Amino acid sequence: MIRRGVIAAALLVSSLQSHAQDEGVTFNKDIAPVLFANCAVCHRPGEAGPFSLLKYEDARARARQIAAVTQRRYMPPWPPEAGKGELAGQRRLSDAQIELLQRWAETGATEGASADLPPMPKFPEGWGLGEPDLVLKTPRPFLLRADGPDVFWNLVYESPVAATRYVRAVEIRLNDRKVGHHANLLVDRTRSARRLDGREFGPGFPGMEVSMEAAGFEPDSHFLFWKPGTVPFEEARGMAWRIDRGTDLVLNMHLRPTGKPEQVAPTIGLYFTDEPPTQKPMLVQLEHDGAIDISPGSTDFAVTDELQLPVAVDVLAIYPHAHYLGKDVAGWATLPNGTRTWLIHIADWDVNWQAVYRYTNPVFLPKGTKISMRWSYDNSTDNVRNPHQPPLRVRAGNRAEDEMAHLWLQVLPHADGSGADPRIPLQEALMRRRLAKYPGDFAAHYNLGAVLEAEGRLDDATVELRAALSIDPAQPTAHNSLGAVLQTRGDLDGAAREYREALSVRPDDVNAHYNLGQIARTKGRLEEALRHYREAVRLQPDDADLHAQLGATLLEAGDIEEATEQQRKALDLDPAHANARFNLGQALFQQGQSEAAATELREARRLRPDDADTRTALGGVLAALGRTDEAIEELREALRLSADDATAHDGLGQILLARGNVDEAIVHFRAVVVQRPNDADACNNLGSALAVNGDLRGAAEAFQRALRIDPRHAAAKANLARAQSADRPQE
Amino acid sequence: MTGSNRPRAWRVAGIGLLALCLPAGILAEALLDQESGARKSGPPVVEPLSVLDVEGQAVRPLESPAAKAVVLVFVRTDCPISNRYAPEVRRLHERFADRGVDFWTVYTDPNESADTIRKHVREYGYPGRAVRDPGHALVKAAAARVTPEAAVFVPAAGGPRLVYHGRIDDRYVDFGRMRAAPANHDLEDALEALIAGRPAPRETAPAVGCFLSDPP
Repeated sequence: MIRRGVIAAALLVSSLQSHAQDEGVTFNKDIAPVLFANCAVCHRPGEAGPFSLLKYEDARARARQIAAVTQRRYMPPWPPEAGKGELAGQRRLSDAQIELLQRWAETGATEGASADLPPMPKFPEGWGLGEPDLVLKTPRPFLLRADGPDVFWNLVYESPVAATRYVRAVEIRLNDRKVGHHANLLVDRTRSARRLDGREFGPGFPGMEVSMEAAGFEPDSHFLFWKPGTVPFEEARGMAWRIDRGTDLVLNMHLRPTGKPEQVAPTIGLYFTDEPPTQKPMLVQLEHDGAIDISPGSTDFAVTDELQLPVAVDVLAIYPHAHYLGKDVAGWATLPNGTRTWLIHIADWDVNWQAVYRYTNPVFLPKGTKISMRWSYDNSTDNVRNPHQPPLRVRAGNRAEDEMAHLWLQVLPHADGSGADPRIPLQEALMRRRLAKYPGDFAAHYNLGAVLEAEGRLDDATVELRAALSIDPAQPTAHNSLGAVLQTRGDLDGAAREYREALSVRPDDVNAHYNLGQIARTKGRLEEALRHYREAVRLQPDDADLHAQLGATLLEAGDIEEATEQQRKALDLDPAHANARFNLGQALFQQGQSEAAATELREARRLRPDDADTRTALGGVLAALGRTDEAIEELREALRLSADDATAHDGLGQILLARGNVDEAIVHFRAVVVQRPNDADACNNLGSALAVNGDLRGAAEAFQRALRIDPRHAAAKANLARAQSADRPQE
Repeated sequence: MTGSNRPRAWRVAGIGLLALCLPAGILAEALLDQESGARKSGPPVVEPLSVLDVEGQAVRPLESPAAKAVVLVFVRTDCPISNRYAPEVRRLHERFADRGVDFWTVYTDPNESADTIRKHVREYGYPGRAVRDPGHALVKAAAARVTPEAAVFVPAAGGPRLVYHGRIDDRYVDFGRMRAAPANHDLEDALEALIAGRPAPRETAPAVGCFLSDPP
């Protein structure tokens, strides 16, 4: 044992000597590998770094600078503490690398032997993932002033797609990367940010954080984040995110004046996939902005939050956010067995280098894990970044001089096998936690209402939405949501009241018009329905869905021509709008254009193969065209998808009866009678089939039933007379 | 703290000494630049420094007979910190230009081309005249270490005297550590004092910025 120790010590000495004997630290041998691997991603032509570090001469001239900024760990920027969360893409130099850089600068920054130079690092030219499928540009650049504090600005990119697409990657490109510190792309599914756009100077609007309105339960799911030197992040398979026609994208930017006025015109590249998402991640926010009240001079003001997970999750990424007083942020998980796992720790918070951090491997947290956050703040003069000198009392807010205490996590909740969406209990836990923190919080009640509605707990949802509206009665989105819950519960009058409330607050609320149109249509008040749909179409002429609904109502009202036109408009806007295809098929059929109708309905069937109504309608059209085999196939498929589809049963019964397949026809007609007990035609059809089969008594009963429903049903009268006369002689 | 992590001894021995203490080689280098090698290195000379402006004209920034003070602002085109100071330099120029203060923007990097520099002057709107100092003659006279850094000279019997050099203000405390607004306007305070006939409140204050390129 002793001997081994001696040998080890001897080896150490000899290795030290060999190091001391070599020719010293050179660029080609020692420095280029460090710079290429850690610095060149930004420090190369066209990128965010102010100068390139690819060549010896570039690096030599800045040797002292490189030594100084690396020794302080200012560069490369990597704020998280080592060993506290396995984060991907670490840009952290080892102590040995930093020491090398110091020695190189001190010993004359020599070049060394050219044979030692490693190959130049390769970076993609232009777009990181190749030419994007769609490139979005700002209509007008934002003019960043030359001087002054950092600017937090948002640009709205309107409705970039004609039909629903799935996005697997986004690249955000600033025309000049030196102006941007970081940027977040936000998905606005309700076009709520547009209302803020252009209110102040220039395109867009100010603010460090943007909150969007949401219609129903659709929590944010992805971090779409850019910071200098990041290659675009490609989502894992099955985890694309959806973008619909009418979805706006909002680019939330942190910009720094450069000394001259800059035109900021970011370009966004979207990469699509045909694979719809199969996994649904969700953003979970720990926060306690309500607890932020930092007195001037305090050096370690703490804000904490925690959440017990109602489901198991994989943590995919993490994003801490505070402003200029933030000092230290820690995030950790306490597992049910008591073990503690670090998620992140940043001991010297710098808002300028805030970032989304992704884990090298998803961090599994079992159900019952508690996730915790602790922020601390320095509101003294010692904090040079303090926006107030002398310091002032600071509370939470969206301005740079306010504060925030956020820790966002992107998690993938595990399904429990019941088929239920595991995001729902997670969202419920989040909102209940929020209500515990903020009992009078509109958003918590509102979001809880939305999640309860998604769970089908309509009574509870109603309570929460009413609570939200008692806090803020002037929220049209909440009135709409409450209306939708009431409508689902069958309380059409109550629902209509809420929609009207929404309209009294926001007369141009498209959703409220749409919903009122739907209720009026259900109630058979077609004129009123048309009025609302027309208004909705006027307000949002590029929404295919609105045209399709208007068209369907026009068809009901008998205006086949305009109905057809509206469906065509819908399809111009969104060729994959299955409902519009379906409606157009119906309208064409009513106009006697059966072939054209069949074409549209086939396309609708392709778009939604699992929709029974489409199959039924197609079956009907095919039957009218005399293609009975195909018709039977469609109708049988419709019944496989929806066993209670009375129209399919009826159609199938009629075709089978005409083909002499009477027994089977009777089964279908009986099903129609069960589904539509007050339908005289159905009873008449059943009677006819029974009569053909020789069951004259049963037939007579069916005709009598038809006549009880509709005493003037001529066919049933005649059939009954025939059946009775045919029956009598046998007695 | 300065831009470096190690304490450094500042090279200012005393007001007025610097111009006299310049090594001969440096002067020669500066002059070679514009006189195409006409002058060979010789005995130490006490002579105002001559450099080329961005149009290639030989100029002597420190020799400004009408000026009460001459301000040199050391910059380079690729330093984000010095770029961010351009509006502040303009503001100071507006405040002092007609009160007898001359402003010179000094480009220090030997690798920057005249075209790059002219474009930079235009884009960032630097006031006063811009000169190139690839041989670091002015850098040495002003004891400049980083960009941006300012130096203030006043005329004196034995030649121009360096009376302030260092940061423009204290907005930057360290790399990546910035105040929302400066607490001390060191250059401005120095100029106000000089114009009022008082000495600058301090001779120097450490500047934070990009190290000047080491000459090859």
